[in-house]
Amino acid sequence: MTLANVFSKTIRDRWMGWAITAVSLTLFLLFGMSVYREIDLTIYTSLPEAFRSLVGIGDDIDVGGLAINVVFGTWGGLVVAAIALVMGASAIAGEERDGTMGILLSNPKSRTFVLLSKTGSLLMLVAVATVAVWATVHPIAAVLGVEIAGLDVEALSLHLFVNALFYGMLATAIGAMIGNRGMATGVTTAIMAVSFFAVGFLPLVEGGNGLLKFLPWYYFDGSDPVTNGVAWGHIALLVSASVVLLVASIIGFNRRDLKGQSVGTTMLDRVRGNPLLNRLIGRLAGSARVSSIWVKTITDYQTLLLITCGVAFLMMGVMMGPMYASIPTDTFAAFEQLPEQLIALFGGGDLSTPEGWYTLETFGLMAPVGVILVTAIMGAGAFAGEESRRTMGMLLANPISRSRIVFEKALPMVLFAFGVGFATFAGVALGSLIADLGMSIGNIAATATLQVLVGLVFGSLALALSAGTGRTSISIFGAAGAAVFFHLVNSFGVLNDAIADLAWLTPFHYYLGNDPLNNGLDWVDGVVLAVLSALLIGLSFVLFERRDIRQHA
Amino acid sequence: MTSGKGSETSAIHTVGLTKYYGSHLGMEDVNLDVQKGEVFGFLGPNGAGKSTTIRTLLDEIRPTSGSATILGMDTHRDAVTIRRHIGYIPGDLALYPNLTGMDTLTFFANMRGGVDWSYVDELADRLDSDLSRKVGDLSTGNRQKVGVIQAFMHRPDLLIMDEPTSGLDPLVQREFQKMVGEVSAEGRTVFLSSHTLSEVQRVADRVGIIRNGRLITVESVAELRSKATRQVEFVLDAKADVAAFEAVDGVRNVMVEGNHVEMSFGGDMGDLLTMATERYGIDDIKTSEADLEEIFLTYYHEGEEEMEVRG
Repeated sequence: MTLANVFSKTIRDRWMGWAITAVSLTLFLLFGMSVYREIDLTIYTSLPEAFRSLVGIGDDIDVGGLAINVVFGTWGGLVVAAIALVMGASAIAGEERDGTMGILLSNPKSRTFVLLSKTGSLLMLVAVATVAVWATVHPIAAVLGVEIAGLDVEALSLHLFVNALFYGMLATAIGAMIGNRGMATGVTTAIMAVSFFAVGFLPLVEGGNGLLKFLPWYYFDGSDPVTNGVAWGHIALLVSASVVLLVASIIGFNRRDLKGQSVGTTMLDRVRGNPLLNRLIGRLAGSARVSSIWVKTITDYQTLLLITCGVAFLMMGVMMGPMYASIPTDTFAAFEQLPEQLIALFGGGDLSTPEGWYTLETFGLMAPVGVILVTAIMGAGAFAGEESRRTMGMLLANPISRSRIVFEKALPMVLFAFGVGFATFAGVALGSLIADLGMSIGNIAATATLQVLVGLVFGSLALALSAGTGRTSISIFGAAGAAVFFHLVNSFGVLNDAIADLAWLTPFHYYLGNDPLNNGLDWVDGVVLAVLSALLIGLSFVLFERRDIRQHA
Repeated sequence: MTSGKGSETSAIHTVGLTKYYGSHLGMEDVNLDVQKGEVFGFLGPNGAGKSTTIRTLLDEIRPTSGSATILGMDTHRDAVTIRRHIGYIPGDLALYPNLTGMDTLTFFANMRGGVDWSYVDELADRLDSDLSRKVGDLSTGNRQKVGVIQAFMHRPDLLIMDEPTSGLDPLVQREFQKMVGEVSAEGRTVFLSSHTLSEVQRVADRVGIIRNGRLITVESVAELRSKATRQVEFVLDAKADVAAFEAVDGVRNVMVEGNHVEMSFGGDMGDLLTMATERYGIDDIKTSEADLEEIFLTYYHEGEEEMEVRG
């Protein structure tokens, strides 16, 4: 039944990820509402207008509004769009990468039909997931006794749905036109991340508001749909853009050659294709790339590292300095009057100081996400990746122990974590120098060190899950889910004493808990995080040693 | 056969090797003894448990019960030492698509050491393999060649190969069979699995047949050949006499249609031809080898039923 056609098979392949997303969002909503219910919301009324707009809090502050804004508006919007994006990128380009597109198209179905089926299943799953989360909002609010009558949850849901659809279609279009899944994912993610970030930042600078309409993310919640209802103009714009992308996908996919399982030609391959240069490179580098498992692992993930380091260095680091300097000082003057508890709520970021700015904008979320992204992908791929590609058997036919494989897979992960950390450090230090912010270089290094260590905890968790299960999805979802969960517990801990008592259980507590950008490195924090990673990596050795190697994906 | 390590001359020795995947049977009570220097064919239809057995020998998966030794060493405890002495091609071979053939071989050579590169060149030459291209751009057969070179390149004492010739064209298959013969002539051991009898017959000294996870029999190739029924067809210059054909040893299921006669035959081909040429003029003759499934049906099926009755 579920294999009846391309549409239903795609749903069959993808529904699990969406179900997990919908259930997680619902749980976060439940969690968020029950936490906000406990706190004294009067502190929000003292917030200056500019600050409220920065963190996305409307004028009428209440428990339901806060929970829905945070869970639905920020996390929900990003997560649903991200899953749609991944699914869209895989729609056409993923089948080509897996080498299954040929056999799919050997059936009497046109390329347009396949593309439309894939798009239809994307549309369907985004819709069902959105409706599923929406349907739980009212019961949860009723059970917890939270008032949400004045909020237009339906309008926000519609915006969320259309927004996710747009990113899904953008990724589908790029994948359909060029047949490269990595490129489709990368470009769409970059557009999403940059516009998400810019929508938060631009209102703070003079003339920034005028630029907002060029950013796709602005049309998600720029009109504050939960307060103001559906902005039909914005919806129409996103829908039209999606339709244009669909047409572009159809035209592009129909015109080009299908890609085989082939891997494409990189710049390095071209250079090696030239005999003269090849000899030169051979002399310089030997065949270093395949000299050992750990070196090969490093070269396998070099693109991921380069991109992440580039983003960390430039966007999270260098750019933030001049950006801070460009914000009129009176925008932040009011912050100095704010109660300490409130400042802590936003990651301890007292925005009237450059340290606070960097803590909030860079180190609070983005910087650890960068390290977690790289280490979790590498950790999850370490064993599960080789197993799903069926190369583990060949690897294990060599006279090396399983322990050595674990070691040679864990080593690059640790090195890369420090690579991202160093790029962040260098970027922030340079940003501070350029904008003459006068931040302590030592403290920046301390914070970046803790950033590396906290990211490594989750990378090591992915490694251990990969070693224990041999399944990539469990490892990635497990590590990412744990990171989001602990991050929420840590953030909510500031608001709720009961949770605050548990804060010591979350790794993030040992990251910014002692405000390292102002106070320097707390050695205990560093040691706790390092020991946690070491334990998880140690566990990987034990788990991988015991297990049957999986043969099929 | 039942001692834990086998004799001094055993290359592979398994005792009661059993693997269940949950409740699904992979293999059960497999007792194998492959002697050093022999070419052992491991024969069975798809899904019979060939790969499960091989992957257990390689310590990729661990047996539910039973044990195995390779060159006298325990396949789990001494896994790393064992791997110094073996070359391996997994079934359904997968390699790193972004590496060239040469990169791939270099990678594995770096991990084990002791690779003679002039020998690699020789192997590549014999198999007509282009090592400068990326594995991801190669056809299945050309990828398989890289796998074959990888298994042979360090002149291992024991070669374990899971359906190594899949995807290779007949010319390359013949070269491969020559290479296997040379390995055996040097006193080294070859263990290879296949689902086609003819392929195994060409290279192996002995054959083990596995079906539904159980090792049904181990026989010499000569013995097996005598049991192997062939399908024989004659077009004669006169109407065939059923009784005359049935009188020849090893003839069964004779079907006559005018001048055309067809039968299953498992005896001495000389006897059959002598009888036919004495009595008839022969316009055409066609013989085809019985496939594995036919052998199972005609010969081993009975054996299997017996086993089930006993079990």
